This record gives sequence, structure tokens and C-alpha cells, in this order.
Amino acid sequence: MRVLASVLRDYEDLGLEELELDDPGPGEVLVRILAAGVCHSDYHVVSGDLPLPTPMVLGHEGAGVVEAVGGGVSRVRPGDAVVLNWLPSCGHCRYCLDGRPELCRQPAVAAQHGTLPGGRTPFRRPSTGEPVYQFSLTGAFAERTVVPEAGVVPLPPGVPAHEAALLGCSVLTGTGAVWRTARVQPAESVAVLGTGGVGLNILQAARLVSAWPRIAVDANPRRLETAQGLGATHTVLAGQGGELDRILELTDGTGVDAAFEAIGRPETMALAFNATRPGGRAVLVGVAPPHVDLRVNAFAFPSQAKTLTGCWYGQSWPARDIPALARLHAAGVLTLESLASRRYRLDQLEEALQAMLKGTVTRALILPSG
Amino acid sequence: MSPFRDSEDLHQSLGGFFDTLTTSPEGQLIHRVGGSILFIFHHPEGRILWSPLPPPGSWPAFRVLRGAETASVEPLLTFEQDGETAHRFWLGEIDLAQALARQQLRATGPLSRAMKLLPHLDPVYPRYAAWVAARPGPA
Ligand SMILES: [Zn+2]
Ligand SMILES: [Zn+2]
Repeated sequence: MRVLASVLRDYEDLGLEELELDDPGPGEVLVRILAAGVCHSDYHVVSGDLPLPTPMVLGHEGAGVVEAVGGGVSRVRPGDAVVLNWLPSCGHCRYCLDGRPELCRQPAVAAQHGTLPGGRTPFRRPSTGEPVYQFSLTGAFAERTVVPEAGVVPLPPGVPAHEAALLGCSVLTGTGAVWRTARVQPAESVAVLGTGGVGLNILQAARLVSAWPRIAVDANPRRLETAQGLGATHTVLAGQGGELDRILELTDGTGVDAAFEAIGRPETMALAFNATRPGGRAVLVGVAPPHVDLRVNAFAFPSQAKTLTGCWYGQSWPARDIPALARLHAAGVLTLESLASRRYRLDQLEEALQAMLKGTVTRALILPSG
Repeated sequence: MSPFRDSEDLHQSLGGFFDTLTTSPEGQLIHRVGGSILFIFHHPEGRILWSPLPPPGSWPAFRVLRGAETASVEPLLTFEQDGETAHRFWLGEIDLAQALARQQLRATGPLSRAMKLLPHLDPVYPRYAAWVAARPGPA
């Protein structure tokens, strides 16, 4: 079938194209995309900082409706409302069995190749038959896409697609970083460096477990304002120096129990480590380009026993955690509505990316069906 | 253990293989990088630089400089690695993302321009294996 998609033709070159989309094969699902969030990772592919093959259909934070299923698919049926899971783990490798499906190699390798696990991509250019790759086994900036069965998570009723989409990346990542990776406890102090889509959810998750204080650090005053609405108790405007001193002042000079970096820059990653108290945890959530190294003080590891770690996809089990987050939202506990602040058409992806980079939107949403 | 006896051996063996790439179809890929690529080796120490020869489509596609002569060109991209890692890379045995994550390979410069070429290197790996097999000495 023919579908419209926003295609990254080459780095920094986006355009709307009509593509041929294969029918779902065995174990695959055809999803009509109703809403897809624009994430920093999408921009990393556009800029080449996350080097992946082109041409490619970006978009990985999506929600929609199952339209057809391939042979052997049992977990969903046509008509089911679903969220895309961009890390469909194999379920039987050492990491999956260990309860760490986000470390599963199978989706990681497929994502590096821009294909489904079998090595095939469902998108093609109709004129030449040239394969068009899909970002992280999803490709949500298209009217429809084909994903593995494990790449969709059925939703409980009552969550509209434009809110549900966010559960598929930024909400899952941000909440998981706090609840699973850092295991933040009530009355612990946290600092969040970078208050984009993921950073805001880190703040929201920290608020839900009664962490205090919750310090938001960002170079954009507008984003800091939004951060206050979502759970920041203190804000630090970055970019003029003294960020570390401000965090230390707010924590009696000791540093925070848990610091989160949600930008992906080595300088702010080092700041997260330096702002953490002895024995505390620094969690790197932001994604740096693959060849970037980080400089931190070596003596601080043995002498201050800090933990420096990271988290991928919120260390989550999407099939368990996405429905749980949806229920929290339905119960009025978890905020989604104020996160997605502006909607764009499929042909406005460039504009949506710019708005995200400038920080004029909390989360830009693409609505591929208009 | 390094597959190269010494710097001289690395410059001749790997450098010689790179010479064959300058007239291979894949050699033209260098024009998509937009600049020179410097490879820095340790165990044994060595330096090899690919310097593109315009215009695209002409042969040879680039020059291969070795050792001290590499200092005459400012590289756009630099890859630093052990001789063994380099050898295994050109055999097609290295997962680049993993090697970067473990610092077996350090890259500076616009990495994405080089990553774009990776899918096109598949035919090159068996040629390196054949090149190594045809050379006398250890490897
Ligand atoms: Zn994302
Ligand atoms: Zn697995």
C-alpha cells in the first residue's frame, strides 16, 4: 500500500514522500499512526550525531491503531489502540531473562541497520524499489508503519493517541530513570540537567515519589517555567557559570542524592557527577554521539563512592510499564496533557524539530493523519 | 598480539592494502566524506592518511600517506586504534558501536560522514583477508 512519510533523505535533508509499505509478514503488525512525538533522538539522526543509514523514516514515539496483523500474531487484533515500543526485545537472551530487556542485542542490531529484526525494511521508494530504512524498528512519521508484534503495546481504554504517544519514549524514559535506575526515595534531593521532554518527566516522576528539593537546570528560561509546572521546586538558569555552586547551595553544600543528565553533552554529564553527593547516584539519560568521551575525576570514585550510571529507555519493560503509566494518567496522577504542547502535520517535521531545539514547545506532536 | 611486526610492517601491509583501495570502486566513497582521514595506530605505532584526489570519479581516488609524511595534511577525521583492532576491522570483525563504547577505537571529527560509508564496505573485507593471506610473515 502507498503511505505518506517524512523521509530523511540524507543528513539534514528531510522531505515528504509517498512510499510503498509492505503488508505485515509473520509476527508483524500494521499500525495506522495517529500521533507521534518529536524526540531529541530524531534530531540526532537528522544531524548525523546518531549515525544511521539513509533514506530513513524517523519517528519512534508513536501511538495508533492496529489495522492488520501477520501470521501468528496473538497479542493484538485489528482495531486495538497501541503505543509503539521502539525496543522490542527478544524475550529469551541473557539480558531479557535477567529482567533487563533494554539491553537486548536483537533490537539494537536491527536498529543499527535501520531494519526489522529479520533484516528487511517494510518501506520502499515506489519508483526505484530502493529500501527506505525505519528508525529504531518503528518509523512513526508516516501514515502507517509495520513493526514486530513485540513493538506494539496495547493500551487500556480512555487515553487519546496524542497523549498516549508520549508514553512510548519520553514518559517511559524519564519515569524509569527515577523509579528504576536511581530508585529515588521520599525526601531525597534530585537535580535534573536539561528540561526537555525526558527531563520534564524526570521531574514529574521525582515529584510523584516526594523527592525534595527537585532542582531543574536549563539554559532556557521558558523551559524552566514549564519545569516548575511539572514538579521543579527550584530552578537554575544555566549558561552563565555557577550552576554547580547553585546546586550545592540548595543542598547544604553536599550535592544531590540523585542527579540526572537529560541533554547528552559531556560537560553536563560531568556536572551531574560533580553535583552528586558522596555515595549518591548520577544517571546519564541524554544520548551523546557514539564517539564522545567523558571526563570525570578518578579519585572521586574510590574516595566518594559515587555511582555513575546510565539508563536506556527507562530500564523499562514496555509491555508492563506503558499500561501502568496509562492507568496512572487515567487516575489523574500522571500529567500528559501539558507535555504535548503543539501539533504539526507530517510535512511540518522540520518546523517541529526547530521548535523543539529552540525550546518553544514542550513536546511537538506530528499527526500523520492530518 | 599485534598482527604487525613493527611500524614498517604496518605501513607496508595495511598501507599496501589501502593502495589497492585507491583504484577500487569503493575508493570513490572518500569523496562523500569531504576531507582527509587519518588513522593513528598503536602497538605498533603508525600513521596512515587518506587524502582525496579530486575530481570525484577520477582515479586514483585518494593518496595514501604513511608515517611522517602524514603531517603535511590536516585531517578532517581521525581514527585511533591498536594495530590488532585495525586488522580486525578490515577483516569485518569489529562492531563499530561496541568498539567506540569500549574505547578500542577513538574517533574525532564528523563521525557521521564516515559511518555513512560503512554499509558499502562489505565487499572490501574479504579482499583484505585475501591480501593478508597472500603476504609473507605473521598475520
Ligand atoms: Zn525518544
Ligand atoms: Zn533479548
